[in-house]
Amino acid sequence: MQATKSFERAFLKHLLRGFRLSAVSYKSMSLQERKSAIKLSADVAMASARGSRKWTRGLITKLSKEDDHRSFLRLILGTEYERLTKPCHGSWKIPRSKKIVRRSLRVCSRRKNNLRAPHGVKSSVLARTLVEKRTHALKRLVPGGESLDGYSLLDEALDYVISLRAQVDLMQKLLTTFEASKLSALSKCTLPERKASFVGEAGIHQQKLTEKAQLRPKLTL
Amino acid sequence: MQCLRAPLSDLSVLERQRTRAEWQQQGQEQSDYHPYDADYCMQSLLPVEASFRALHSCSGGGANENHGNVHGSNDCFSNAWPDIVSSMHCPVVGAAASVEETSVNASSSSSSRKRKSENTRRSKENSGGSDGKDDSNCKRIKEETGGGGGAPPEAKRPNKRKEESADASKENDKAPKSDYIHVRARRGQATDSHSLAERVRRERISQRMKYLQDLVPGCSKITGKAGMLDEIINYVQSLQRQVEFLSMKLAAVNPMMDINIDSFFGGREINPTCKSGSIPMIGMSSELLDQSSYLQFGSLQHDMFMDSSDLLLRPNVNPPAAVSDTSLGSCLNVNGSSVWNTNLQNVYGVEFQLGRGTALPFQSLQGNLLPNNLKMEM
Repeated sequence: MQATKSFERAFLKHLLRGFRLSAVSYKSMSLQERKSAIKLSADVAMASARGSRKWTRGLITKLSKEDDHRSFLRLILGTEYERLTKPCHGSWKIPRSKKIVRRSLRVCSRRKNNLRAPHGVKSSVLARTLVEKRTHALKRLVPGGESLDGYSLLDEALDYVISLRAQVDLMQKLLTTFEASKLSALSKCTLPERKASFVGEAGIHQQKLTEKAQLRPKLTL
Repeated sequence: MQCLRAPLSDLSVLERQRTRAEWQQQGQEQSDYHPYDADYCMQSLLPVEASFRALHSCSGGGANENHGNVHGSNDCFSNAWPDIVSSMHCPVVGAAASVEETSVNASSSSSSRKRKSENTRRSKENSGGSDGKDDSNCKRIKEETGGGGGAPPEAKRPNKRKEESADASKENDKAPKSDYIHVRARRGQATDSHSLAERVRRERISQRMKYLQDLVPGCSKITGKAGMLDEIINYVQSLQRQVEFLSMKLAAVNPMMDINIDSFFGGREINPTCKSGSIPMIGMSSELLDQSSYLQFGSLQHDMFMDSSDLLLRPNVNPPAAVSDTSLGSCLNVNGSSVWNTNLQNVYGVEFQLGRGTALPFQSLQGNLLPNNLKMEM
């Protein structure tokens, strides 16, 4: 499954607009601040390019929790901002008391176990709890996923994965574009110097990427 | 019933209960049932919310006249009054219809997740019309419309029914209408609404899992739900980490960024009539990228920048031959007609290492370019 071309175009447009908007204070920011500004632009661009889905709404509400992001969001999204942050019926969190929920879950699970596995099959219970644990983890990952049930959670996760992939792709391409133009700016220097700098960059780059690969731990629950 | 398009968004529980009570009353009044075929039992549910919503939004004044999609429940079911499901008609047209339809159904069913219910989609929506066209196979449709819209395409329903009876599984939605999923109970399986509903739910979930299996790389061997979820979680986490990493890299490149951004936008403004269109020209084949259009740009940097971005953003049509004799020295020549070739070489020279480095199986554009001399340098 691929993200559509219009999505890619809208994403890049919003991304660059976001860069431009936040570029005003680039000189004074540290690396971390720049990085978070870029990430913010990228997330907003992805959400606005996708349109109105549960996860986009969740993402934008999450981002707009901080006040300084809100003005930024408003600038980027314009009229869509209000529409996107309006809670849709699916994402209304019904206020639930934890104790009552826990009690009812216990009763329900007991009832289920009595009905389905009267001879005490433990594996099904184990399987179910594993799935539940992972479902909770996925709910935490997908923005706005807390209030979704199994099917819509998978649906939103599917959509989110496609958009994330497109985002990563496009950011990579943008990065290489920037680096290419940076290289061209260095075209004044002579060939061996440039080759050396290129190799140096490549080495650092490779090192960083292997570090990143090593830092990817397997999910532990 | 003209439109069942109103979203379910603001319907409260109270309203739903009220409509259910209303409907129940009407259900009692129904006089003629048509007995179902003994062969199959169909669950049918009525989009009461749909009709209620439509009442409010569409029909204006006579709110209680229009009741669409009222079905009589059948004797062959143990629970004659199935739970109401909030199956909304989704106003989607076109290819995206089926996907969106299922997602809308999913979202609407999630709102009533406490009640185990089943969606049955009817083949055609009932928009106004009379009852006269029922056959023995058809569900009873009750219309109380004053004026009514077009006559319901009842004639089509028996055909539809026969098609459905031909296949033993859930029918997929047809684009324009249908709120219901027709489910046929398989031989030897329980036919009560709960298990049917569960079966439908399970089938949808497994369908989604299949999609996700295609998306997430390396999941073809994993069959269990827990394992699949595990992989999905890992994948999402890795993608999110990649975004962070890339934004860090972009921030590192950043001191150049102001100039670059300006030239990006400057390039675009300079040549708005460029055949390649606005930035980014994704998806354009190389023939469309007119070399001459780039020569219109003022500065050297604009040239380089626009070219490299456009080349990057179009799909992978690069001939490896062009890259094979890349040497970094050749990117010195950036004036005039050599812009095209040198940009290509320069860009792919830089590009390939990112592609190789990230080492992800789904790399689209960059992964395959490994010119020999650059490889040696790595």
